[in-house]
Amino acid sequence: MFRYYLKLGVLSLRKNPVLSGLMVAAIAVGIGACMTMVNIQYVMSSNPIPHRSDLLYHVQLDSWDPNEPAQEPDEPPDQVTWIDGSALLSAGKARRQVLSYRTSRVMQPTDPEIRPFQVEARATTSDFFPMFDVPLLHGQGWDKAADDSRQQVVVLGKEINDRIFGGENSVGRTVVMNGDTYRVTGVLDDWNPVPRFYDVTNNPFTDPEEVFFPLGVAVDKEISSFGNTNCWKPIGDDGWNAFLNSECVWLQMWVELHGSAEVRDYQAFIDAYAESQKSLGRFARPLNNRLNNVMDWMDDQEVVRDDVRVLLGLGFLFLLVCLLNTIGLLLAKILRRTGDISLRRALGASRRAIFSQYIVEAGMIGITGGAVGVAMTWLGLRGIEVLYSELDFIASLVRMDWEIVLSAVLLAVVSALAAALYPTWRACLIHPASQLKAL
Amino acid sequence: MEIGPIWRAMMRNKTAYVLIALQIAVTMAIMVNAIAIIQERSHLIDRPSGIDEDNIFYLSSVGFDPDFDARATITADLEMLRNLPGVVNAIATNTVPLQGGGWSSGLQTTPGADVDGTGAAIYFVDEHGVDTFGVELVAGQNFTPTDIEWHEGASSGWPPTGIVSRVAAETLFPDEDLSAVVGKTIYINNDRPVRIIGIVSRLQAAWKSWDGVERSMLVPMYRLSSSTRYVIRTEPGERDQLMPRVEEMLAAANTDRIIRNMTSMTETRARSYVEDSSMIKLLVFIVSLLTAITGLGIVGLASFNVARRTRQIGTRRALGASKRAILRYFLLENFLVSSIGIVSGACLAIGLNIWMVQTFEITPVSWYIIPAAMVALWLIGQIAVFGPARRASLVPPAVATRAV
Amino acid sequence: MLQMHKVSKIYRTDSVETHALREFSLTVSDGEFVSVTGPSGSGKTTFLNIAGLLEEFSQGKYELDGRDVSRLSDNERSKVRNEKIGFIFQSFNLIPELDIYDNVDVPLRYRGMKAAERRERIMRVIDLVGLGSRLHHLPSQLSGGQQQRVAIARALAGQPRFLLADEPTGNLDSAMAGSVLDLLSEINEAGTTIIMVTHERTLASRAQRNIMVSDGRVSTGAGNLHIAAAAHA
Repeated sequence: MFRYYLKLGVLSLRKNPVLSGLMVAAIAVGIGACMTMVNIQYVMSSNPIPHRSDLLYHVQLDSWDPNEPAQEPDEPPDQVTWIDGSALLSAGKARRQVLSYRTSRVMQPTDPEIRPFQVEARATTSDFFPMFDVPLLHGQGWDKAADDSRQQVVVLGKEINDRIFGGENSVGRTVVMNGDTYRVTGVLDDWNPVPRFYDVTNNPFTDPEEVFFPLGVAVDKEISSFGNTNCWKPIGDDGWNAFLNSECVWLQMWVELHGSAEVRDYQAFIDAYAESQKSLGRFARPLNNRLNNVMDWMDDQEVVRDDVRVLLGLGFLFLLVCLLNTIGLLLAKILRRTGDISLRRALGASRRAIFSQYIVEAGMIGITGGAVGVAMTWLGLRGIEVLYSELDFIASLVRMDWEIVLSAVLLAVVSALAAALYPTWRACLIHPASQLKAL
Repeated sequence: MEIGPIWRAMMRNKTAYVLIALQIAVTMAIMVNAIAIIQERSHLIDRPSGIDEDNIFYLSSVGFDPDFDARATITADLEMLRNLPGVVNAIATNTVPLQGGGWSSGLQTTPGADVDGTGAAIYFVDEHGVDTFGVELVAGQNFTPTDIEWHEGASSGWPPTGIVSRVAAETLFPDEDLSAVVGKTIYINNDRPVRIIGIVSRLQAAWKSWDGVERSMLVPMYRLSSSTRYVIRTEPGERDQLMPRVEEMLAAANTDRIIRNMTSMTETRARSYVEDSSMIKLLVFIVSLLTAITGLGIVGLASFNVARRTRQIGTRRALGASKRAILRYFLLENFLVSSIGIVSGACLAIGLNIWMVQTFEITPVSWYIIPAAMVALWLIGQIAVFGPARRASLVPPAVATRAV
Repeated sequence: MLQMHKVSKIYRTDSVETHALREFSLTVSDGEFVSVTGPSGSGKTTFLNIAGLLEEFSQGKYELDGRDVSRLSDNERSKVRNEKIGFIFQSFNLIPELDIYDNVDVPLRYRGMKAAERRERIMRVIDLVGLGSRLHHLPSQLSGGQQQRVAIARALAGQPRFLLADEPTGNLDSAMAGSVLDLLSEINEAGTTIIMVTHERTLASRAQRNIMVSDGRVSTGAGNLHIAAAAHA
């Protein structure tokens, strides 16, 4: 019977090619508009480290100005001071801890033919690599001992290794940055978490840094941050040392905790730390220290932009308009065929049969609309890519994967069936005899 | 023809009309709110930064050698840049408007740690700053060479004079004339006094979305660090040929540093507002497409109605309706459906706008957008229905006697 | 008075020319009840369409009430139809979305009459056809006979000089047909000229005069014979 309905559907769609085309187009355009924005929202809000996101906690300590919060209504600062970060780091109360900041170095290749060039760099601690499960092509990160003894070691990104060492295994060799020599301990494999969760204070959709080196080395060499630095209190007069001892926040702190008991314990630990600092005249605000796992932190930082939310909403309203359009067209089509339906009913078709016939037809429109809609989504994403080509990170937001393709088709079929329900129900109500006599 | 019978006839076949009215209502709601966002963004993009954007470019000089002499490099570089034919003036500073990264500090009219400061962007410049940026001094005077100080990067020494933007002056001294603000002392870093010696009409901060974007202060000092930004203002039309030459000259002049991020202000403006300008384009596209779809929906329903009512139209013609009367019937019918859609659309639009204002902190829609959108949708409806209505008016009266 | 003189109507398609009427001449005096009969395809409906100004014709001359209506513009023809002619169709042609009252109102609206006068006329003709209690019923809620009565009321509402009926009882059973014919006779006695196209001779006998149409022409002699027959009866 299903094949018979398919055949009837094809016949009917071919009988009114313009009307059928309009319906397919309406669904396809609606799906395209909607799924383009869903895709971008999906990428922006995707989990950058799915297997570990529940184990990684971002640390916030409210060391801010007693007179006003770091951010309204009562938010603690999004980064930590050197005083607090280094204290938590050396306490080592979590399974692993990472304290880091974004900076920049000038790489001086030994080959005099290659001009020195600037690289994005991250000063971080040894746990960075195992904790964030960073894939390494060669070698490994440095160890805790290297952190403590301020060894000049470096992990290179894949591209930088290609550029300087022609893609060879460079572990054990050295590079010169700003006149200092660093020993290579590891080379990254391709790694591009989207969003770049470990530091969202800078644009969260740009690529990871190109070189990684120990935090202790960076601080000793007085290498300033390229990220945001926020201060509520003037800095003292004795240069870098004053900056380190200031109330400026400029470092990102992450800890690894397994299970709610560990989270509870660590929360108690940082609260106790804050209390202990109160006696030193710091932490004048009420206790407001926070631990957020990766996804909660992405939400908290509103990694997904408002523009995307607005466009997503418009996308769904757009689909709604397209569906209203489709319902109208389907209704028109079915009412035009009242005679045919009542004849079928008179010849013994049950309501169910009529219902199945038209739902199958609507499903065919939905699948076609969905397929065209996937193409429209692809076009929409290409359009977005062209439109936003000034943004260097746009390419990572307009990727399309199978989940999106399948959801587009699914959304199209569900939409078409939903749109078909009312007109089909009206078709079922047509009385067998009503239309035969006085047409 | 009057509305009564048309309305009653429509009520016998509500669904199709309800669908179109709903479609128009949602279209209207989207249209109004998209226009509200478009207006807001265009307004943002249209704000001038205050500097001579057409003729300015900038680049960074990053010293990497541990023995790099920042002071000597800056002195030599500026000397060379200022003597280059086609260059109007040049300075070493920390940032430019719209660039995205910069320095801000709280300014206050009385000293003390517990006073709420007014945030302002800080530009470190010498006596050539006003001329290089091309900002207009509206009160007081420019720095003289004796005002200029040299400071190490992390040190917090602070020169005793400054030039502020008009908005900064007005925010700090809301009750004073601009000319009276010149000579006043303000405090930076809680207690460092700074005497205002001049006011420029406009100089935006580096962060376009900051609510204090119009507040800034020029500070007469070179801030020494391994990284310096040179801002170069050229004669009109000379910028593009000078950019590669300047880059090459600076790179050749000193090999202990690299030259990077050379950018014109034109590019900076485009990049800075790319999300706003793209949002505008996207919204215009979405609204046009949506309007087209709604228009097609109207055409579709009207065509269907005309086809279904061919006999009825013939009968009306037989009973004495002129072609114009038939045309008017369908136009009026569309006008009624549109009106319902448009009026409910206006309510929906306002509701959606209130929600968007609360959720996304957008500017509320200007009142006149709503009647404008209403008229636009009425017109679109009438245009869309005109084709099918004309076809209806061409139905011959003899259809009435045709055998079924 | 209705006068057709040598009216011809030719339908042209790409390859075929069909002569629906050939030099058709006919005069109907004021107050007459004329029936037009003939086999299918004889040109009855074409004659009715031309008489009712629903269609233009190729050659000849047509005068209605002494006015030459052969070459009027579409607008003028609409006005003449609206003011002088009432139509009754085989399948009633009531507008399904409108109730009885609004259906009868249709021609009056096109005449641009004041609301009070329209209302007065509508009530009078609906009472005349005996449907005063069904004002706000939809056509689908009425029987065929009742629907045709509404159609007659609609035709009469404009107080036409001529009533053109196209197989008015074709979709009705004989009892209903009888009552509709009685109604038409009454209307004729009140002074309205009626031209009724039918293919049933028994119906035609209710008219004062019968015109036989075959092959697009008036069959000579048949009309007179019939008048004679009617006079005997």
